[in-house]
Amino acid sequence: MPIEFDKEKLSDEQLFAMLHPLLSDWFKNKFGSFTEAQRYAIKNICYLQNTLISAPTGTGKTLSAFAAVLSELITLSERKELEDRVYCIYCSPLKALSRDIERNLNEPLNEINESAKKIGKGLNIRVAVRTGDTSTSERSAMLKKPPHILITTPESLAIVLNAPKFRENLKEAKWLIIDEIHALAENKRGVHLSLTMERIQRLNPAVCRIGLSATIAPIEEIAKFLVGYDGGEPRNCKIVDVSFPKSLDIAVISPIKDLVNVTQEEISEKLYSKLDELIQQHKTTLVFTNTRSATERVVNHLKEKFPGKYEGLIGAHHSSVSKEKRLSIEERLKQGKLRAVVCSTSLELGIDIGYIDLVALIGSPKSISRTLQRIGRSGHRLHDVIKGRILVLDRDDLVECTILAKCAKERKLDKISIPKNCLDVLAQQIFGIAIEDRIHVNELFDLVRKSYCYRNLERKDFNDVISYLAGDYSTLETRHVYGKIWYDRETGLIGRRGKTARVIYMTNIGTIPDEAKVKVKLGNITIGYLDEAFLERLRKGDVFTLGGEKYMFIYSRGMTIQVKSAEKMPPTIPTWVSEMLPLNFDSAMEIQRFRRLVAEKFENKRSKSEIMDFLKEYGKCDGFTAETIYNYFYQQQRYAKIPHLNLLLIEQIKDEEGNHVVFHTLFGRRVNDALSRALAWIMSKLTSLDITLSINDNGFILSSRGKMPVENAFGVLQKSELEIVLKQAIEDSEILKRRFRHCATRALMILRQYRGREKSVAKQQMSSGLLINAVKRIDPDFCILREARREVMEDAMDIENAKKVIEMLKTGTIKIVKIDLPYPSPFAFNIFAMGRSELVRIDSRIEFIRRIHEKVMEKISS
Amino acid sequence: MSERLKIFNGAKIEGLGLFIEPEKMLIVADLHLGIEEMYNRQGIMVPRTNYAEIKKNLCWMIERTKPKKIVINGDIKHEFGEISKQEWREVLSIIDFISTNVKELVLIKGNHDKILGPLAELKGLRILDELYIKGESLLITHGHEISNSNEYEKAKTLIIAHEHPAVSVREGMRSELYKCFLKGNFLGKKLIVMPSMNSIAIGSNVLREKTLSPYLQQDLGKFECWAIEDKPYYFGKLGALNE
Repeated sequence: MPIEFDKEKLSDEQLFAMLHPLLSDWFKNKFGSFTEAQRYAIKNICYLQNTLISAPTGTGKTLSAFAAVLSELITLSERKELEDRVYCIYCSPLKALSRDIERNLNEPLNEINESAKKIGKGLNIRVAVRTGDTSTSERSAMLKKPPHILITTPESLAIVLNAPKFRENLKEAKWLIIDEIHALAENKRGVHLSLTMERIQRLNPAVCRIGLSATIAPIEEIAKFLVGYDGGEPRNCKIVDVSFPKSLDIAVISPIKDLVNVTQEEISEKLYSKLDELIQQHKTTLVFTNTRSATERVVNHLKEKFPGKYEGLIGAHHSSVSKEKRLSIEERLKQGKLRAVVCSTSLELGIDIGYIDLVALIGSPKSISRTLQRIGRSGHRLHDVIKGRILVLDRDDLVECTILAKCAKERKLDKISIPKNCLDVLAQQIFGIAIEDRIHVNELFDLVRKSYCYRNLERKDFNDVISYLAGDYSTLETRHVYGKIWYDRETGLIGRRGKTARVIYMTNIGTIPDEAKVKVKLGNITIGYLDEAFLERLRKGDVFTLGGEKYMFIYSRGMTIQVKSAEKMPPTIPTWVSEMLPLNFDSAMEIQRFRRLVAEKFENKRSKSEIMDFLKEYGKCDGFTAETIYNYFYQQQRYAKIPHLNLLLIEQIKDEEGNHVVFHTLFGRRVNDALSRALAWIMSKLTSLDITLSINDNGFILSSRGKMPVENAFGVLQKSELEIVLKQAIEDSEILKRRFRHCATRALMILRQYRGREKSVAKQQMSSGLLINAVKRIDPDFCILREARREVMEDAMDIENAKKVIEMLKTGTIKIVKIDLPYPSPFAFNIFAMGRSELVRIDSRIEFIRRIHEKVMEKISS
Repeated sequence: MSERLKIFNGAKIEGLGLFIEPEKMLIVADLHLGIEEMYNRQGIMVPRTNYAEIKKNLCWMIERTKPKKIVINGDIKHEFGEISKQEWREVLSIIDFISTNVKELVLIKGNHDKILGPLAELKGLRILDELYIKGESLLITHGHEISNSNEYEKAKTLIIAHEHPAVSVREGMRSELYKCFLKGNFLGKKLIVMPSMNSIAIGSNVLREKTLSPYLQQDLGKFECWAIEDKPYYFGKLGALNE
């Protein structure tokens, strides 16, 4: 069995005997015994067996990976056999984590060194951090005296792999530790890392890979992602899955009793009182909001509403906060000097933040795993209770969070998805490999297919990427500009092209897209920032809201816009909602299952008290929550019907604006995005109607002046290949343009740094529109454009699960019930409240201008 | 509605060009051949498609209008440092292409046209600061600076380029940018602004960006607009588009 769960647990005695006596003594003095994770993992790592350790934070995970490494290094040092090279590479997604780890390794090493000195055997084990923050002098010091343990990030690791001298030091690295692997596997940073791991394995085929993960599903897939493939089969890996040892205390709280007849002000008033109450009842509280702006808002409100109470005792922590400020907050948090820290998502990962006795979540965490990870940041010592409170703001939130909390308690994990066959990342890595050495194209293909993310890569896709990198899309004469690699078709060899290749690679590496922000200026004062996509839509004279104030847009220059105050004027353009955290598909299905159970109770004419009892038991919630949920479902049942796992409710409403069709597709926003766009596109082909869309996690609405052919559209959808429909539906979309810029930057078609100059995101943004047009002109199927389409359909949307839904419709597992209603049903309120301006009918540029032209002509002639 | 495609009497929009029927004259502007290289130098590896695209468009316009004369109203080449062999070839080839199909070619100086001197010598071309058509009282000038010629005083209609005007067409959350012709007034003269032929960039959104040309510093709300996609689309006054 290449991937297997480790069942062999060692005793303290066995482990003490296995480790170097100095380390054993240190362990004995420090902890007395070993943790569950360590009992399984240490031996594997001693024997150089690939190991994935899945355990929550605070369970000795880091030392379970490092114990064997330290033990061996101490042995070598004692024997004076320790060479000046890297033995262990540790890679984590966060720079902040690097410093923590350095400290956590130096502490035992220093203490052990003291003991070693006493017996006259001073140790000389070096640990060093190398990230984007490492100075040139530190880097050259590292080159002269390489660390035995190198602590780094995926990007810096890829850079050192391409640094000719430093790479020599990595050639015999025995251990490769990937921390927070669950957070990497979900995105293109992980895809990039999966190829870096193969490049390291190519240097040293015997390298032992170790992954550290939070509790996550599907764990076997994460294991395969960690170890990669060889000869078409996953390499061996032991999985150490240490279930949550701590007890969980999770509850959902609605700060206000009546979630229906209530104004926004009242909700926010009650929310802050409740939050204040919770913070005051505890020593240190960590608050999660889902967005950066909400983080600032919560901190400001708490300070304002409770003067004196929070001054100097609360901090905001998110990626836009300056590094110094962030470090200071982390430091004060660790020292127990803060009552509360509010963060967006930035403290989800395992930075050491000291003792937290409560985690409060404002709004839904949108997945069971994320619920566990966030709440798991409390009670950081081994035997503390984990305590979390989820504050909900409306009834959908209440139902969602109740089910998330229930599943969290039952450790029913939802699955993450790992992106596959990303051609942009592939291009970047092949460029790096070509700089390193000459390699035959077939060998390169085999190397790439060893990565989990590329194990099924088609040869054609690979060839297209090679062809792109070789500059085939330019003429021979300009190939020195466009060609990135040297490729000799006769011999099949690939290598470096030009002297600047290395510099370009080193300065443009990475997969995290820069988001362009538009600076908003009132006279000379900068009053805030807007999303780049918002600027696209602005026209002179538009009034919009920013930070609660209204402004009129005067003009833009590049990525700066001038505004003037516009109080008392109604906004002419809705504020752009940037991509929100989507509800996980598996979590969504759990909620649907819950809906079905409740619906059945109503159908079977159960009494209110019976249903209430069921709700309390199943939802593991208090009487008040159960009552609110009961009322919500009761109203839905009375007025319409309860949609659930096997019943897709479609409600049709007519009002003065026209027709609205609500689809109660509780599958999460990513699936709904795919389904709704596909349906709207089909309808726009069937009729000549203007259709607008609004989408959220619970469903979507199509609106139009005319009558929409819902059945027909569903019929076509069931008969078509979803990929083909969706590909056309997204072709002229904003999201494709935006994602193409990201992909083109990863594939180094857009260089952030070139000829010693940094290119601003604003400039990248302005040039990306023309790039996509030119690319479409030379080849509508250009590999990087293809990748952008894949990213939109598979990563931003969820075409796989959308297909499953269509399949369930086809087989009748999901039945459609269509009803006409005078007003939207209770379950539809929130989708309606979002406004119907999310996205307009999906037509091509030509169709679009024709349609708007007709409208304008009507207006002019009337 | 077809008369709406006549931007003024005797002048018709043909693709990105303007055809002056009585003169059998086709005006195009702002080709910016070689603009890809500017992007390349900034690290944007945009493929070179401008030359082929412009040639294709010119070919289409010539077929349709069978002009006697072609006027390039400035910026045939995007100048950016040294001119490479390939770029020279592109410019020469466009000129040869026009010369073999049309009797007369006139080049008007733009702000990017340092190349024109050597080019004129090589090909024996007419190069002008501006072109005055007496019969129509029409002055064709690039538009980066206000003319101070006698002809300017006499002209009733000005045709400029330089601005690369484009207009955003918007509905709800969707917004698309299209190249456009503009028609308005400048100090009592009729003013026509032509879009650029450059196929790499669409242009600058007149509903959003601050305008560059000294002819366009007034309020553009009363300017009429024709957006160009597969054909011209008349959109009325810019001011009304903002409503």
